[in-house]
Amino acid sequence: MPSKWVELLTAARKTALLQEGRRKIHFTMSDGAELLEEYDVRSNELLVRKWRRKSALGGQKGWEYEVGEADLTAKFAALSHGSEHVVESHENPICFRCDTKKLFQWRIRNLPFPTSTYELSIRDQSIVVRTSNKKYFKILQIPDMERYGLSLNESELSFAHANNTLIVQYKKPVEIITDQDMLMVEFKKMKVTKEGDAECNQS
Amino acid sequence: ILQAFRKAIGVRIKEETELIEGEVVEVCVERPATGTGAKIGKLTLKTTDMETVFDLGQKMIEQITKEKIQAGDIITIDKSAGKVAKLGRSFTRARDYDATDSQTRFVQCPEGELQKRKEVVHTVTLHEIDVINSRTQGFLALFSGDTGEIKSEVREQINSKVAEWREEGKAEIIPGVLFIDEVHMLDIECFSFLNRLLESDMSPVLIMATNRGITRIRGTNYQSPHGIPLDLLDRLLIIATTRYSEKETKQILEIRCEEEDVEMAEDAIAVLTRIGMETSLRYAIQLITASSLVCRKRKGVEVSVADIKKVYSLFIDESRSTTFLKEYQEEFMFNELAGGDAATMEIS
Repeated sequence: MPSKWVELLTAARKTALLQEGRRKIHFTMSDGAELLEEYDVRSNELLVRKWRRKSALGGQKGWEYEVGEADLTAKFAALSHGSEHVVESHENPICFRCDTKKLFQWRIRNLPFPTSTYELSIRDQSIVVRTSNKKYFKILQIPDMERYGLSLNESELSFAHANNTLIVQYKKPVEIITDQDMLMVEFKKMKVTKEGDAECNQS
Repeated sequence: ILQAFRKAIGVRIKEETELIEGEVVEVCVERPATGTGAKIGKLTLKTTDMETVFDLGQKMIEQITKEKIQAGDIITIDKSAGKVAKLGRSFTRARDYDATDSQTRFVQCPEGELQKRKEVVHTVTLHEIDVINSRTQGFLALFSGDTGEIKSEVREQINSKVAEWREEGKAEIIPGVLFIDEVHMLDIECFSFLNRLLESDMSPVLIMATNRGITRIRGTNYQSPHGIPLDLLDRLLIIATTRYSEKETKQILEIRCEEEDVEMAEDAIAVLTRIGMETSLRYAIQLITASSLVCRKRKGVEVSVADIKKVYSLFIDESRSTTFLKEYQEEFMFNELAGGDAATMEIS
């Protein structure tokens, strides 16, 4: 019995592309939302997963990153030519998710405080990161767990701090790992266009 | 016209927006030393749990200086629209006795993350939805005002979508009012188009105003009452207007005085009403501002009868102007009545 997430992905319209050592797969859902996933060709690890959803009035919004690091230069460019009004400064901690096969993992860069300041807990089905000096606070949600309807368990959570970076890890449950492997097999079967493959007739 | 029609219908809809809410720790705006070029702004915000530095865009810097936002204020920023709202002062700053007036509200410093998602109900017109959907870069077009033509397919699509939202209870439709003044200026094509629009199920209340009697419909040779074709006229309710009575005129003038913050003595209003009745209401209304200026010049508090008399002698009304013009017509340029000899003299 496939899970809802697998069903959603199989029902979507898909296109795949091999580029820069990444397997890029683009999904278009029935409600018009777009999903882009990028996997490393060699290790098959998920590098990027980003969504573009339609706003309530039908307008387009920008990409929202679920996994992977967003391109910040575009944001600063938008600030200088006036289409964005407020952007977090580059001095701030940057948080993004980068999963491994067995773990959900977040890296929070630019956090210079010592390891003892961090407190991690689980509240309302999400991970709460706070610092005892009241400088940083973040709620990390795991959309994957929500999609499977699984609840979080504090014993699966761990963290480490080194090189101004806080790494938060949460072990993936078995259901997610098996589905992930199964999807990977499916994706490999897809017909892919390689870079420079596309026909581009001049006349 | 269709655009105006669609502007007149509002749709109330819920949408999620990103808000930044927090207490200001520091605002800092730097101007480049050369005096030209963009300003650089930095804003540090905090909640009880965290602190973040933001880089500000030009529009944001302007707003922050305009709203006089300073350290200790609790503000919210609407991220997509770029709007700042001041909620009040932080409780932790309640000790600063200086520079707090009675209107200052003290607010608790917010908790948790700075960036929040909130459901906001806002009202948009059908036309705005059309614009957003007509192009991918629709948002930009909405601000620059340049929309181009909106295809009828897009409109139909929006209609069905809005109807769907209404059934699901996601949106609420507010029929508006479209007011067309000087309606006799429309031509026959506009009228037949209006006929069609009025029959659609999402049509606003239409009010038309005209001061013509039986005239020609523009674009045809037919005569019709009010310059409106009979078939459209049949679908209208005609509201006749009458002249204002003295009491009504007085009331209008009183409202107008209040609106313009002019204090007027009781007898001055009576004089003004009399002027309004004898000449025109527009003239009387224009006298209000003028007389209040005269009153301020003599450092009076209340506009008196003398002020109005003075203004009445300074500015002439329509009928006095006509008699005046008739009298002195010959001395103006380009006069046609006695045109003959004036022209020959100039040539020689």
